[in-house]
Amino acid sequence: MANNIIIGAGPVATNAIETIREFDTESQITLICDEPAHSRMALPYWLAGQIPREHTHTADDAYFQRLDVTARIGDRVTGVDPSANSVTLCDGSSLAYDNLLIATGASPLALPVPGTDLPGVQPLWSLDHTASILNTTDGNSKPRIVLIGAGFIGFIMLNAMHKRGWQLTVVEREGQILPRMLDTDSAGIVQSWLKQKGIEVHVGTSLKAITESDDGSKSVELDNGTTLSADVVVIATGIKPNIEFLDGSGIETGQGVLVNDRMQTNFANIFAGGDIAQGPVLGGDEKEIHPIQPTAVDHGRVAGANMAGQDVRYPGSLSMNILDVCGLQNSSFGNWNDPNAEAMTISNPDGFIYRKLLWTGDQITGAIFSGRPNDMGMLTDVGMVKGIMQTQAKLGEWKEFLRENPFDIRRAYVANKVASKLAGTTLIGRPSKTRGFHFGGKSPTAQVASSHQVYVGTKPS
Amino acid sequence: MTKILNIVPQKCTGCMQCELACSWVQTGTFQPSRSLIRVNVFDEEASYAPYTCLQCDEAWCMTACPVNAIGADPDTGAKVVSESLCIGCHLCTIACPFGTVYTLPNTGKASKCNLCGGEPACAAACPTDAIEYVESETVGDWFDPWGDQLHANYVEQTSN
Repeated sequence: MANNIIIGAGPVATNAIETIREFDTESQITLICDEPAHSRMALPYWLAGQIPREHTHTADDAYFQRLDVTARIGDRVTGVDPSANSVTLCDGSSLAYDNLLIATGASPLALPVPGTDLPGVQPLWSLDHTASILNTTDGNSKPRIVLIGAGFIGFIMLNAMHKRGWQLTVVEREGQILPRMLDTDSAGIVQSWLKQKGIEVHVGTSLKAITESDDGSKSVELDNGTTLSADVVVIATGIKPNIEFLDGSGIETGQGVLVNDRMQTNFANIFAGGDIAQGPVLGGDEKEIHPIQPTAVDHGRVAGANMAGQDVRYPGSLSMNILDVCGLQNSSFGNWNDPNAEAMTISNPDGFIYRKLLWTGDQITGAIFSGRPNDMGMLTDVGMVKGIMQTQAKLGEWKEFLRENPFDIRRAYVANKVASKLAGTTLIGRPSKTRGFHFGGKSPTAQVASSHQVYVGTKPS
Repeated sequence: MTKILNIVPQKCTGCMQCELACSWVQTGTFQPSRSLIRVNVFDEEASYAPYTCLQCDEAWCMTACPVNAIGADPDTGAKVVSESLCIGCHLCTIACPFGTVYTLPNTGKASKCNLCGGEPACAAACPTDAIEYVESETVGDWFDPWGDQLHANYVEQTSN
C-alpha cells in the first residue's frame, strides 16, 4: 500500500488527490500545508465583496474524509531527503513517503525599497494579505491605493478594488502595463480604458521610497519626481517559486523544479507541479514555468495518475491568461511576444478592440485579444484559437483566408476539423469527473427556466 | 449510452430559430447574441450548421474552474455551470478549445449549453430537424464531414 505525501494545498494538490482516488482507494495520502486549501484565483472576488471568504476554500474536513486524506493544515515541510525517502517538518519530526508530490506554489517578491516595511504597505497574494487589506481599509469607503507593479497579479486585484470603488493609482517600472501579458499596442488600449475609468497610470518609473505621516497616510515617491498620496500601498512586482527548502536535497532545479512529462523530478518517486514546476511546454523544446491555474490542474492530474501507478504523459502546457480590467477583457495565449513570428493584427483603439494572431509557418503559435465582453466573452473566437493552438493545426491555405478575414476564425476552425481532433482526447485516459467539493460530493443538475416548456411542450411529434 | 446534440448540416437553413429558442430559455431574452448555440452561416461556401458545446469527455471548462462551479449532470452528462458558485474569472472561457463557454455580459458569469436538463429547446425549435437529440457512442461524428465539405467548397471557390 503506497504512502503518498503531498506538500501544498493549491489546485495541484486537490487535483492530484482526486486523481489518485480515481485509480486507487487503498493508498495513504497525507497533505501538508501551512495555509488552508483554497483558490488564489478566487481571492479577488472575496476582496471585491462578491463572495464570502469560505467560497475561496477548495477543501474542508468532509472533503478530506470522503477522499481518505490525512490533512496536516498548519504544518510546514522544511526539507526533503530523497535518499531516506522522508520529509522534515518544522517541528523537527520526519515523515516517510513512497511517493512525494511537491506543489508549494509561489510567493510575492520583496521590493528592497525604503518604507516597504511600513504598516499599510503590503503584497496582495494570499488569504492573509486579502484579510489584511480588508482590515486596513475597514470604515474607509474610498481608500487611496497605490499599486506598485502592473502585472497580472496586481491587475486582477486592481479589478477587485475598482469594483469596491477605491481610488486607484498604478505604477509600473517598464514602459507599458501588463508587460508579461500584452504587447505595447494592446497595453496602450488598456491604458486608455483605465484613464476613462479614472485610474491614474504611471509607466516607466520605479518606486523610490515610501514615508508615513503622523495620520498614517503614505507618501509614495517615484524616481521620475512624482509623489503620490496613499492609504495603502500594494506591492505586486512579481512572484518567485517556493523552492528554497529543496536546496541541497539533490532535486534538480532550474528556475523551478525540473520535471518530465510524467511530472517526475530526477527522482522517479518525487513529483512536482504548479507554480514551482518547470515542465514540458506544448510544441516547445525548452521547459518552462507556467504559473497559471489550468497548468496547475493538468500537473496535478498527471502527477496523481502516475503516483497511482498509471503511465500518463503530459503533452505540455499552453500559456494562457485572461484578465478583466475594469470591464475590458484581455487574453493572450502561447508565444504572443515571439519576435520571429509573423503577426496579423487588427487594432481599433477607439472601439477598444485588438486582435493579434502570431504565426510560425502555417501554425498559430500565439494570440492576443482585447475587447468588451460582447466582443470577447460572447464570441466563439477566443476558444477556437485556443483549440487551433492546442491541436497545433497546420492551417495551410486558411492562413491566407485569415489574413483577409481575421475576424472569421470559425471558418478556419471548422474546415480544419479542430473540434473532432479534440473531442476524443482526454488528459488521463478517461473522462473527467465532477470535482465534488462545493457540491458536497453530489453532481449538479441543469436549472431550466419555465419558458422552456413553450418550446419542448408544443413540438408536434 | 448518453444522448448528444447531433447536427445535420445539410438540413440547416440558417434560420436562427435555435438561437432564439436558446437565448429565451437560457437568458430570458430573444437575443441571438446571448444564445449558447451559434449558427455558423457560411454563405460563400453554402454551408450552415448550428454549433454548441459537444459535452466533451475531457471537459476543459470543468477541470480549469478554480472553485468547482462546473459539474457533470448525472442524468444527461451535460457539463453544467452553477451560477451561484461561478465567480466570473473567465478561465473556462479560455480553457475550452471549442469556444463554447461564454461570459454573459449582464452577469459577468460563465454560461454554456446544459442540454436544457435533457429536453434541448434548440432541437425542439428547429423546423428542419437539423438538430437531433439522439443516443450516440461518440460526441462529434457530424463534425468531420461538415469540415471536409466546407474546406472543399472553399478550395473550389478560391481556385476559380
